[in-house]
Amino acid sequence: MTDPAAIRGRRQWPLPKLADPTAPLLLVDDLAVRFRMPEGSVKAVDGVSFRLDDGEALGIAGESGCGKTTTALSLVRLLPANGRIKSGKVELFGIDLVPRTEQQLARYRWREISIVFQGAMNALNPVRRIGDAIAEPIEVRLGQSRDASRKRAGELLELVGIPRQRAAAYPHELSGGMRQRAMIAMALACDPAIVIGDEPTTALDVMVQAQILRLLEQLRRDLGLSLILITHDLSVIAETCDRVMVMYAGRVAEEGPVRRVFSAPRHPYTQKLLSAFPNIHADRRTLDVIPGMPPDLRNPPPGCRFAPRCPMAMPVCTEVVPPEVRFADGVRVACHLYPTADAATVAVPATPARGIGT
Amino acid sequence: MTAPAVPAGAGGVVVARRQPGLLRQILRRPDGLAGAAILLVFTVLAVIPDILTGPLQTAITATGPRLAPPSVEFPLGTDELGRSMLNLTVHATRISMVIGLLATLVTVLIGAVLGIVSGYVGGRFDALVMRIADFFLVIPTFVLAIILTAIIRDVLGTGSREIFGIRLSLITIVVVIGITSWSSTARIIRSQTLSLKERAFVDRARVVGAGAGHIMRRHILPNVTNLIVANAVLTFAGAILTETTLSFVGLGDPFQPSWGQLLDAARTVGAPGLGAWWYFMPAGVGIVLVVFAFTLLGSALDAILNPKLQSRR
Repeated sequence: MTDPAAIRGRRQWPLPKLADPTAPLLLVDDLAVRFRMPEGSVKAVDGVSFRLDDGEALGIAGESGCGKTTTALSLVRLLPANGRIKSGKVELFGIDLVPRTEQQLARYRWREISIVFQGAMNALNPVRRIGDAIAEPIEVRLGQSRDASRKRAGELLELVGIPRQRAAAYPHELSGGMRQRAMIAMALACDPAIVIGDEPTTALDVMVQAQILRLLEQLRRDLGLSLILITHDLSVIAETCDRVMVMYAGRVAEEGPVRRVFSAPRHPYTQKLLSAFPNIHADRRTLDVIPGMPPDLRNPPPGCRFAPRCPMAMPVCTEVVPPEVRFADGVRVACHLYPTADAATVAVPATPARGIGT
Repeated sequence: MTAPAVPAGAGGVVVARRQPGLLRQILRRPDGLAGAAILLVFTVLAVIPDILTGPLQTAITATGPRLAPPSVEFPLGTDELGRSMLNLTVHATRISMVIGLLATLVTVLIGAVLGIVSGYVGGRFDALVMRIADFFLVIPTFVLAIILTAIIRDVLGTGSREIFGIRLSLITIVVVIGITSWSSTARIIRSQTLSLKERAFVDRARVVGAGAGHIMRRHILPNVTNLIVANAVLTFAGAILTETTLSFVGLGDPFQPSWGQLLDAARTVGAPGLGAWWYFMPAGVGIVLVVFAFTLLGSALDAILNPKLQSRR
């Protein structure tokens, strides 16, 4: 059996030189990402702020095209060629990654922040053995010998519940769940502080999905990982995450501890999103549909971006961008329904308290 | 996890169901099997001509009568110097096959490297390489080959010097074939590379920190290997034809009997006019059979490797 200590001990290497040991793990402040398109600039992410602490799991929810993946990928600047971070800060251990050059940033990719991509079949080279695929980051990023990285790839496979003999298998010889496990092993290869799961369980059947989620949960506990889970499946977030950030059209609608947000959603969008989701405990009823489409981000509505679809929209909603209001239970909401004065505390754009769930 | 503690490589290895190997798939098809069988025969001839028919006969060691038709002693007759045509044809097989092989290696090497790098790197390099490739695709190959042979001969010289044990004149032909036929291989490999580099696993490798060289070698190349093999087969047939033609018009090496060289000799001597069919038939049949075999293999490979033609399962 693999010695867990060989893999545990999250910091196998010291913090980056510039790191501030007292700083939070990850602090994103007022991040804005633009995509240059022939028809104009698309504001895919607009003023997103959040914080991620050690060992914490943050779920990012929202419908397709709301900027979930863009937000996560821009942390290590893995945007498509036409995407750029326009402004904002991404502080990892207190180091702002936004002004780093591509070369400086490479040091953080995979070693500090790694990604479990969606669609494991596409993210694995069909003609390479999975053992080699997992060994690849160890070889090219950590500069270890082929033998050493192969050996560690075997350990990682066992860690995610695949017998190490299967390292010789090709992707098409593995089941979907196994491939996803292999992707997780690959994400863990360089012992990162943060793992971003980009729809890691989409396209898997419910049983396998549960297994993968349990694995992520267990790894987070055992290795002290922090997770960012991107998904449109709210039940996945409810099951695995401490906090949830609901995004709409490139902005944060509501963010806070999972239990608080899901049991008492404050933002109308969160309410709609939750009621559009089947609940096994509730009485049988027709699911809600949110009428309309998300706005065109080349030319978003001036006020609250949800206003055109919002059942509770007020005149002010279409004119003024709602400020973020922070409540005493750690939830922050960007909605005019909650005037700053009425909220228990003042509006704080970033750094909410840690979730209750942890 | 509770994986059984089995040492790697020992028993208990999970044997994965795998597609049968490429060779086996080829041999299962009638065209592939026929092509492979013909090639096997010629390969044997090319590898051990001395054992089969004795050392290459020269004007001095020739033993037979001049221009004699096939007989028991000389199954394929003799040439105008009294050399056994069987001996000459078998030795010529070796030269033709070696030139074909070397020219194919050169062609595929240039084509694959330029195709992958051009497709992956893109930009100006790609544009430049592809314009050069277009030039070679548009110019009639044979005219260019004749001119190039003359030029390269001038540069390298025509003496009997050898490089790596191969006569200079043969190297000239190999180089000429390589230069004139790399472009189609390069274009095919490039187009495949263009589609591969958009695939998620290439992105992933880049994110992980792999450099361009690493990605091209470890990710793109293994994915285009099938294509390279299929291309090599067709290039081989083309190379043998080109060599034959160049030799036939007198640009070969008269001291190295290739099939083309034999045909040229037959023409010089006037064998067709004299009714000495045994002079040119063996070489001609050899060329036709080898090219046919490669075409069969090529079509078998195409059927196996081209997913659109596939109807398995």
